[in-house]
Amino acid sequence: MKIDKTQKGAELTVALEGRLDTVTAPELEASLGELAGVTKLIIDMAKLVYVSSAGLRVLLAAQKKMDGNGGSMTVRNANEEIKEIFEVTGFDEILTIEA
Amino acid sequence: MRFRSKLTVQILTGVVVAFAVLCGLVSYIGYCEFTEALEDQYEARAYSTARTAETFITPGFLSSVDLLSPEWRAKYDRIRGEWQRLANTQGATFIYLYRKLDRGYERFSVVMSVMNSSAPYTVFASGSVLDNMPEIYQPAYKKIYEDEDADRAVVTVYREEFGSDEFKSGDHITVLLPIRDAQGGVRAVLGVERQMQELQNVRRTYVRDVLLTTATLLLVALLLYGWYLNRRLLNPIEKIASEALRFARENTHPSVPLRQSITGSDEIGQLARTIDQMEIDIRDYIEDLTRITREKEQIQAELNVATQIQADMLPRKFPPFPERKEFALYATMTPAKEVGGDFYDFFLIDDDHLALVIADVSGKGVPAALFMVIAKTLIKNRAAMGGSPAEILGTVNNQLCDGNEAGLFVTVWLGILEISTGKIAAANAGHEYPAVKRADGVWNLMKAKHSPAVAVREGLAFRESEFELRPGDSLYLYTDGVAEATNAENELYGTARMIEALNRHADEPVEQLLPSMKSEVDAFVGEAPQFDDITMVTLRYFGG
Repeated sequence: MKIDKTQKGAELTVALEGRLDTVTAPELEASLGELAGVTKLIIDMAKLVYVSSAGLRVLLAAQKKMDGNGGSMTVRNANEEIKEIFEVTGFDEILTIEA
Repeated sequence: MRFRSKLTVQILTGVVVAFAVLCGLVSYIGYCEFTEALEDQYEARAYSTARTAETFITPGFLSSVDLLSPEWRAKYDRIRGEWQRLANTQGATFIYLYRKLDRGYERFSVVMSVMNSSAPYTVFASGSVLDNMPEIYQPAYKKIYEDEDADRAVVTVYREEFGSDEFKSGDHITVLLPIRDAQGGVRAVLGVERQMQELQNVRRTYVRDVLLTTATLLLVALLLYGWYLNRRLLNPIEKIASEALRFARENTHPSVPLRQSITGSDEIGQLARTIDQMEIDIRDYIEDLTRITREKEQIQAELNVATQIQADMLPRKFPPFPERKEFALYATMTPAKEVGGDFYDFFLIDDDHLALVIADVSGKGVPAALFMVIAKTLIKNRAAMGGSPAEILGTVNNQLCDGNEAGLFVTVWLGILEISTGKIAAANAGHEYPAVKRADGVWNLMKAKHSPAVAVREGLAFRESEFELRPGDSLYLYTDGVAEATNAENELYGTARMIEALNRHADEPVEQLLPSMKSEVDAFVGEAPQFDDITMVTLRYFGG
């Protein structure tokens, strides 16, 4: 998986490419770190093909951290398969998912 | 000195060659310098003899050459007598006076010629004519006759260069002087020839001495150098090499470290210390590795026990309720790692209510397995207290959120079957849609509204749905290990393939359906590794 981070002030955009699964999820978790000082986190999934439950856990952890420091997190450009995963797992009710 | 290694031979061969070349070069340069100095000396002596001989020639002697005149003969005899003494005392071989006969430099007439009394040659008689002056002399005569400023001309003849026996004399040097009249015209040429026999002898001695001395020095230097090389370089290197060899074979610390026998701050000493350090590091590393491997084996053994415990937690006795004829039930779980995060469960809440659970904890391995144990226990305990599936999951959700720092969550499908009626109340917390087959129909996904997974957030309210099983209907529950099984081309198995496979095996009894489905998934995945636990539960309802 490729992780591409762009920070503009307190806004952090993380573009993901490949598969977010058991093998790669710890990479993303380490890469995101504590998210200190970030008030707006955008996860761009335009080039992401798959999210497993381990990946969902990392997204959930990031969401909780953003909730904890009063920021917001948005998931963008998820493909149909990933959207279905969000739907099936009920994550569409937890995460803010944009087209 | 022992020549015991190739290295020694190589180094010493190089040194010998270098010394020999140097020795030859020194000898050659000495030889040339020596020859030049001696030639200069011979020339100087021949020149001085010639100058002395010149002083005896009285003015007018050459202007009236008449061999028959007794007066001229008297002058001639007197000069000849002086020259003869001069030749004998000065060591000159010949002293002669020639006159050129015509325009070229080939024909000369002999005015006078004397020879050293000890020389084994003969002289040209006065008045005789030399018809062919050897070419080697001709430029010198030309110089004497044509160059007005010339006070001498020198010819050095080496017999080997000259290449013939035309001259019976050996190597020699000849100095020519012009004898001029009052007007400066050249009347005749006075020549003095000296043998250079001494030069040969002295030079031979010199070269022999130089060669002998350098050869001796070379031998001594070689012996000393070889000894030094052996002591400072080859001995230590051999020690280091044999120690490295020993270590590679035995893998043990040396009885005496190299640094004790090889001291010194040069590269050899450094090498010895480095090898010592390397051996210590390798030993430490091997010990570490052995310890870690032992620990790993222990952990592996414990994990095997954990796998067993986890497997034992899932109901594995089939048929589970042999006395109940209303339904048949079968379930399997294949963990991807030793301990997994998937689980299933079924139990009778009371005589008329059967609870069915299938769940998948996010992540894998020990953390997921621990979370699974807690989740399974909480669900079963809460279900035993009664209540709807949504109520049960609501309570369990709050309990699991409490202290869930790792952020784990679990997707759960929980259904409660009313055995007498076939009605199922179900809550789906982020889990896959179950599949249902009607008695006379085909398998289809049973889609109902989802709720988020359990333990995602505290205070979640779970949706509930209801459907009814009629006699002959079947239910199939599974985890994403089935739907998201991935082959080598990174393709997902997907629910469409799953439904097709279910329909291929629609008529099989429950105990056969699940192994068949596992084979279908395995066939799709092929050689690719199994990433996720594969868990399935199926129920066939026969009516209350």
